[in-house]
Amino acid sequence: MNALREFLAAREIWGVPLTASVLAGALLGALGVYVVLRRTVFVSAALTQVSTLGLVLALLVEERIHIEAEYAPVQLVVAMVFSVAGALLLGTVRSRRLPAEAAVGGAWVAASALVVLGASRLVHAAHDLGGMVFGNAVAVPASDLAVLVAVAVFCLVVHALFRKELAFASFDPETARALGMNVPLWDGVLFLTLGLAIPVTARALGALPVFAFLTLPAAAALLARAGFRAAFLVAAAIGVLAAGGGYVLSWLWELPTGATMVALAGVLLLPGAAARMRG
Amino acid sequence: MSAPLVTLEGAAVGYHRRPLLQGVDLEVREGDFLAVVGPNGGGKTTLVRAALGALPLLGGRRGGRRPLRIGYVPQREHVDTIWPFRAGEVVRMGRVPLLGPLRRPGQVDDEAVHRAMARVRVEHLHDHAYGDLSGGQRQRTLIARALAADPELLVLDEPTNGMDPAAELATMDLLRDLHAAGGLAVVMVSHRLENVANYAHTLAFVDKDRQLFRVGTLAEMLRPEALSALYGRPVAVRELEGRWLVYPTDAELRREVAP
Repeated sequence: MNALREFLAAREIWGVPLTASVLAGALLGALGVYVVLRRTVFVSAALTQVSTLGLVLALLVEERIHIEAEYAPVQLVVAMVFSVAGALLLGTVRSRRLPAEAAVGGAWVAASALVVLGASRLVHAAHDLGGMVFGNAVAVPASDLAVLVAVAVFCLVVHALFRKELAFASFDPETARALGMNVPLWDGVLFLTLGLAIPVTARALGALPVFAFLTLPAAAALLARAGFRAAFLVAAAIGVLAAGGGYVLSWLWELPTGATMVALAGVLLLPGAAARMRG
Repeated sequence: MSAPLVTLEGAAVGYHRRPLLQGVDLEVREGDFLAVVGPNGGGKTTLVRAALGALPLLGGRRGGRRPLRIGYVPQREHVDTIWPFRAGEVVRMGRVPLLGPLRRPGQVDDEAVHRAMARVRVEHLHDHAYGDLSGGQRQRTLIARALAADPELLVLDEPTNGMDPAAELATMDLLRDLHAAGGLAVVMVSHRLENVANYAHTLAFVDKDRQLFRVGTLAEMLRPEALSALYGRPVAVRELEGRWLVYPTDAELRREVAP
């Protein structure tokens, strides 16, 4: 009870981070429905690495020609530009010879190697790199929350306006193309929302929760046999529960925040899995 | 005679600037029932995609009616069953290109969906999960989706692939009935001539490895000379109780199948 009382008394400390966590959980949970159904769950891992690569390049430039990249909004913008570029590339280029996951894996491993190589050339900023990309779920600045709100509203509007096109082009691109739809355009729109959401939520939650929230809530919703529309709502609700609940539990039990969120998201898979096993 | 729905003149079709077939002349008119036949990987689907404009031509000209309402039925296996759509939602996707961005489906679209599902006798499956349907039911749902667009041209890619003989016959009978009802040209792709010879009015033989493209009426194409060009071995055709049978006549095969 004491821990709970202390938590409630510290609202000024957790107000912004908890709001950011809950919003990120909802956004990623909903977007995750497409990520899981399109079988591209490793896309978030690849895009966070691509974001990191962008930051490393910006920091290298800063150290070489003395421009001020080590400033939070600039870092976020650079991460978002790289993530969006990577997302558009991964989302719109469909090879007839290779599955989509090969491109995602290739992007992840190439970006990871380049990050290691680039970081090895950094003189001052290498030790801050993790914090710049993955942030700290316990202490999210209000400016990051503002960017997260803007990105979430943008994604909500795009998905509400173009729901039927995004669904058709993702579900059956061959037919959509045969009927004259611009499938690369709709793939690009979908991956634009992912490319924006991933670096912004990674700064609020960390890379592991982002990967988890793009996968587990949607998987839980689909296991529970939610229909297509309902899956977005159920997955968003599970994302909110896992992010908010994980944040509070990590505070009360003094656990690592991101890992607690992921563990709770894993637990929330169980009801759907049990229902599916019962038939 | 009405203007053709789709034409290809001296067309070269393929991917990444590599032509698979060249010098293709093809015309599809109202009321046609064309079957595009050839081996797996022979370029049939590529040809049809190019004819529909879904694939840019590498040479030659594409023409025909603009705009043209097309209903397209992909290979059933290409449609992922993990998506949690109900059959009715899948059929409603056929209306998406007609609506355009920002417009929501309305009552007219719902009525078109019900009409299309009734036409292929799957109306009762409207609220069933698409992934839970049998292969034959899924095929009918995809045909209903194509019909929901009120098409002038219905294109089907290997619609009976992987079906048992009864389901295959039922699907082909359904296509014959839809075509016989009028107002619809049908183009279907199949690697099995026997499957389509009893339904199509026109045949196109396609094999990129032999650089073969030949099109003609059933009578022109069901000749030993044309069939041997397609199969690369002696083939005969016989009519038995109103159905065409196609079978190889080379001695080597006769020895293989002899008891």
